[in-house]
Amino acid sequence: MNNLAFGQYYHTNSVIHRMDPRTKILSSLLFMIGLFIIPKNNFLFMGIFALFMVITILLTKVPLKKFLKSIKFVTYLLLFSFVFQVLFNSEGELLLTINHNLTLVNVGICLVVLICLFLLRKKIPLFFILFLVVLVLGVKFLEYPVYGNVLLNYDIKVYTGGVITGAFVISRVLILIISSAVLTLTTKPTDLNNGLEALLKPFGKKTSILAMMISIALRFIPTLFLETEKILKAQASRGVDFNEGKLKDKIGQIVSLLVPMFIISFKRAADLADAMEARGYVPGEKRTKLVKMNFTLKDVIYLLSIILIITIVIIYRVI
Amino acid sequence: MKIEFRNVTFYYKKSEVVLDNLSFTIEDGTMTAIIGHNGSGKSTIAKLIIGLLEPVSGEIYLNDELLTIDNLDEMRAKMGIIFQNPDNQFVGSTVKDDIAFGLENRLIEREEMIRRIEKYSRLVNMEEYLEKNPENLSGGQKQRVAIAGVLAMESDLIIFDESTSMLDPKGTKEINKTIKSLKNMNNGKTIISITHELEEALYADRILVLNGGKIVLDGSPSDVLPKKDILEASGLKVIDGLSLIEDLKKIDFESKDVILEAIWESIFTM
Repeated sequence: MNNLAFGQYYHTNSVIHRMDPRTKILSSLLFMIGLFIIPKNNFLFMGIFALFMVITILLTKVPLKKFLKSIKFVTYLLLFSFVFQVLFNSEGELLLTINHNLTLVNVGICLVVLICLFLLRKKIPLFFILFLVVLVLGVKFLEYPVYGNVLLNYDIKVYTGGVITGAFVISRVLILIISSAVLTLTTKPTDLNNGLEALLKPFGKKTSILAMMISIALRFIPTLFLETEKILKAQASRGVDFNEGKLKDKIGQIVSLLVPMFIISFKRAADLADAMEARGYVPGEKRTKLVKMNFTLKDVIYLLSIILIITIVIIYRVI
Repeated sequence: MKIEFRNVTFYYKKSEVVLDNLSFTIEDGTMTAIIGHNGSGKSTIAKLIIGLLEPVSGEIYLNDELLTIDNLDEMRAKMGIIFQNPDNQFVGSTVKDDIAFGLENRLIEREEMIRRIEKYSRLVNMEEYLEKNPENLSGGQKQRVAIAGVLAMESDLIIFDESTSMLDPKGTKEINKTIKSLKNMNNGKTIISITHELEEALYADRILVLNGGKIVLDGSPSDVLPKKDILEASGLKVIDGLSLIEDLKKIDFESKDVILEAIWESIFTM
């Protein structure tokens, strides 16, 4: 449960940590917009964006593991979007044709291997990589009619367009997630709140409430996860097994987790509201700030470099 | 801050009265402990004073001024409260930010804020933890941060609303020590400590025992403590030493008075 990196500030002292929160918010916003205006399948620009992100990651001094953890949640999503692109995109040249001859035996073997793999997934280090290898081997293996009659015979045609677009989509999502992780890993929720508030100021007085809400949500993510873990353990000690069981049982188990979670969250929210009110917080009112935001040279450089990259992309698209 | 309750009644449901026509006065600059079992209405008193709840009938006077919706914000600026659950009152993402939260709301200037954060974090022995986030703190430490946050607002009244009930023995000891030292500072602050542990009420100037929404005992700790029957009837745990005194009184032995006196003294120096 503790592998959720999103929203968890990592405390160290780096250039990126010391940067103005406004710069970080603005630059990650611009960066995300930039990612989506890159012309389709243009790996040169994607490479520039990736390089920029790599430099940023190195500057943050946050262990690479933290970033990898933030990607972990979307690995399967990425895998499937890649597979779909490869299977159904028929642009470009024909790259290879895989002729599958499905028999009961080779399909059976593939299924057994997959099931075994999933049952043992907790005990295998680097499971995802092994899963990928098995997937590729399985696709190859299905070409050979091992034993018995061929039930189904079909061709999978892989085109260059599919592979390229697949890789493009994956890299876009990857860079997108990492760029948001950079923001949350290097910015304290309070700073994020201050930054957001300052940026939203032109849009009205009440925007400070929104900023406060976001920062409190981020502040409580780790606390709520600890709480979830406690409930999980409490339920497990009373015999609920969250890993096994039929779908119907699983739904029941999830309900038994969600109900206490909701009740605890509401209680917590009410308590927190009391505590904030007692300490003089009035939503939307003027507040002084402990943190002084300093827009310095490093902010200018960072922001300008992002604007430069995006401008190049826009000019390229227009011409 | 002088606090006066005049015939205050409070209930959520009419059939379950929480506070029943309650009247009492707490003098400025004193420490009062309000004790009672769970559901005796003691936390409701705190919420009424701080204005989170409104009495169904009756009035609350703070410094001889009637507490109303209109002067609530102004009154709140003069008081601070430390709640039960240390996790649910930690607003900031670091100790420093959390102490600053109340100050930011009160529009205190930045330089003054930094000064106060330094001063009051030192007072509760948390000055080394200023940059730490709440996940890295123990329950007692989090409560100490909450105390620093309230102290930093330099309010006249500090309410401890069962601030130790969710802590381990070590944390409880830390917080009690802090409350005690606050009292001994004699800086004119009014302290209200709400608790269900008699031990935590011993260093107060005055104890109010609450049962069924009514005050059943009112007096100094040495007045209240010997009234074992009423305390037990109010669902409170009588202090161990006290039962020992009761038992010893029944038998006759040499220098009985001296020994009983010594035990009595030891209860208060725990």
